[in-house]
Amino acid sequence: MMSDLLTMLPPGALMMLVAAGLVLVPHHARQLVMLLAIAGSAFSLTAGAGQHLTIELLGFEMMLYRADHLSLPFAIVFHIAAALNVFYGWHERRATDHVAGLAYAGAAIAALHAGDLITLFIWWEATAITSVFLILASGTQRARHAAMRYLIVQVASGVLLLAGAAMLYSESGSLAFAGMTLGSAATWLIFIAFGIKAAFPLLNGWLQDAYPEATVVGTVVLSAFTTKLAIYALARGFAGTELLIVIGCLMTAFPVFFAVIENDMRRVLAYSLNNQLGFMVVAIGIGTELAINGAVAHAFAHIIYKGLLFMSMGAVLYRVGTVKASELGGLYKSMPLTMVFCIVGAMSISAFPLFSGFAAKSLIMSALGYKGLVAAYLVLLAASAGVLHHSGIKIPYFAFFGHDGGHKVKEAPFGMLVAMAGASVLCIGIGSFPGLFYQILPYSIDYNPYDASHVLGQMELLIFSILAFTFLMRFGFYPPELKSTVLNTDWLYRRVAVWLGRPVLWAIMAVWTSFTCAVAGYRDAIWQAIERLVHSPLTGPTVPGRAVMVQTLVLVVILAIGYLVAA
Amino acid sequence: MSANSEEAQKLARMGMWATRVLLAIGAVLVVLEFIIHRHGEIALEDLPLFPAVYAFFICIFIVVGGIFLRKIAMKPEDYYDDE
Repeated sequence: MMSDLLTMLPPGALMMLVAAGLVLVPHHARQLVMLLAIAGSAFSLTAGAGQHLTIELLGFEMMLYRADHLSLPFAIVFHIAAALNVFYGWHERRATDHVAGLAYAGAAIAALHAGDLITLFIWWEATAITSVFLILASGTQRARHAAMRYLIVQVASGVLLLAGAAMLYSESGSLAFAGMTLGSAATWLIFIAFGIKAAFPLLNGWLQDAYPEATVVGTVVLSAFTTKLAIYALARGFAGTELLIVIGCLMTAFPVFFAVIENDMRRVLAYSLNNQLGFMVVAIGIGTELAINGAVAHAFAHIIYKGLLFMSMGAVLYRVGTVKASELGGLYKSMPLTMVFCIVGAMSISAFPLFSGFAAKSLIMSALGYKGLVAAYLVLLAASAGVLHHSGIKIPYFAFFGHDGGHKVKEAPFGMLVAMAGASVLCIGIGSFPGLFYQILPYSIDYNPYDASHVLGQMELLIFSILAFTFLMRFGFYPPELKSTVLNTDWLYRRVAVWLGRPVLWAIMAVWTSFTCAVAGYRDAIWQAIERLVHSPLTGPTVPGRAVMVQTLVLVVILAIGYLVAA
Repeated sequence: MSANSEEAQKLARMGMWATRVLLAIGAVLVVLEFIIHRHGEIALEDLPLFPAVYAFFICIFIVVGGIFLRKIAMKPEDYYDDE
């Protein structure tokens, strides 16, 4: 009975329900309850492919639970990430991270199973509203500002999605969330809504702005869901849209330069996250079965290794109190296990053979090669070297080796180590047994990344990238880590929009003020007119005061205008 | 201070060893290039040592690009603090 009920619920719903009451549960029991909620939610997936729950609301059919070969791999990895995050946050006594984290993961999982655009919109916004608390919980003024900017951008994405959905409905009479073709304003709005959350070029500022300001646990949780939900949405809605190849190439290339000079290690990882999304976006743009498999495989592997890297830097932040590269170094002695896990994450993201990135990225590169897209191939190959450079080398090197930062700290808390160990096992497992991994992908494929030629080529790429880094370091060409703020696209709304917006705002305020002054000038005349009306014998003594009369008048005017417009 | 410089020396020694190991692996890969018939996804990649040479120069290009980006986009750490 219980199991029937669970398979009827949309996956993720149970997690959100449980999150609502989580604050009442004492600390250790709370962690167990969260794990049970995630397990229960995962059990819903056993319902298999199909449309399991549709409700009718205000005349619309809302498909709350639709599962298929595309949603399944994302759902699996979202559940894995949610469970690992519970272990990672076990040491945290405050309930904020737990409640927000579980509700956020639940909303993202529910969004994967939305069969129509309205349901998608609801969960799309729910991910924004739940996740913002992970940033707010940092408690600093800086974090509060970043959280508000994050929320505005995320909600704006949802509003665009809703507007697009409404227009699409009036065009086609359908709200189904399925493949779309870019063309009408409706599809463009939806495309941009997805693009904001997928951190397209120029729309990416929120990611590097907000993620590094979240709590130790919060950043790890944030890294998993929002952007990959957007990748899923693009894969479902816009597979084969060629524009995505160009957008994806830009996404892989530009963040690399920023990552090289950024000082905050969690921000370096946020740039590298952006670059990784680029690979997936390119693959979605190609749109062949091999490419979509590549995008999904890369998203799957990426959630785990990127989470692992954020976990290791979170552990460093937790123990040392900073993740500024300029202040770190030499931590290999104090935090040896964290170092090992960080290196596993680094080798996975760099796509070393036997690590998960290799099994995933190879699919995308082959798909590009088969299509004969030479320029895009070369960009992604360069970006692969770049990934190794800033995530594979820079992160472990400056944190654990480099120059001795003089920090004598304890190893990461036990829960963090468990989460990092779990993620490491998955990284190596996926990389070492790709055949098993490929079975959960949307399309069945016969692909083997481990032929001698391919492995040799990849090893050359990696080893000579590291040698380039060593060469630059040794001869002092490598730019030193400096305390700094590197301007990113959020500068456009944090500075340019303010510069341009302020005069406009002033102009509007000036007009408004002169208007209210003018009204004030006539105030006496208006007041007397009302007075006469109120005290006229016609209305009698029960007539309400002047304020109500004014409001009634205004209402009448609005109604009159409304009727005129409607007529 | 002596403990610190000892630590620094240790890190330098580790760096030296890592470099040697990397050079050795690099040499092995170059030798393998002429033993294994390597082919890429695109024709350009079939050129001898293409991945090695491409990666090496791309990495230098990235760092040069980074240094240039610092010139135009790097601000003091407290740049946004007046918000």
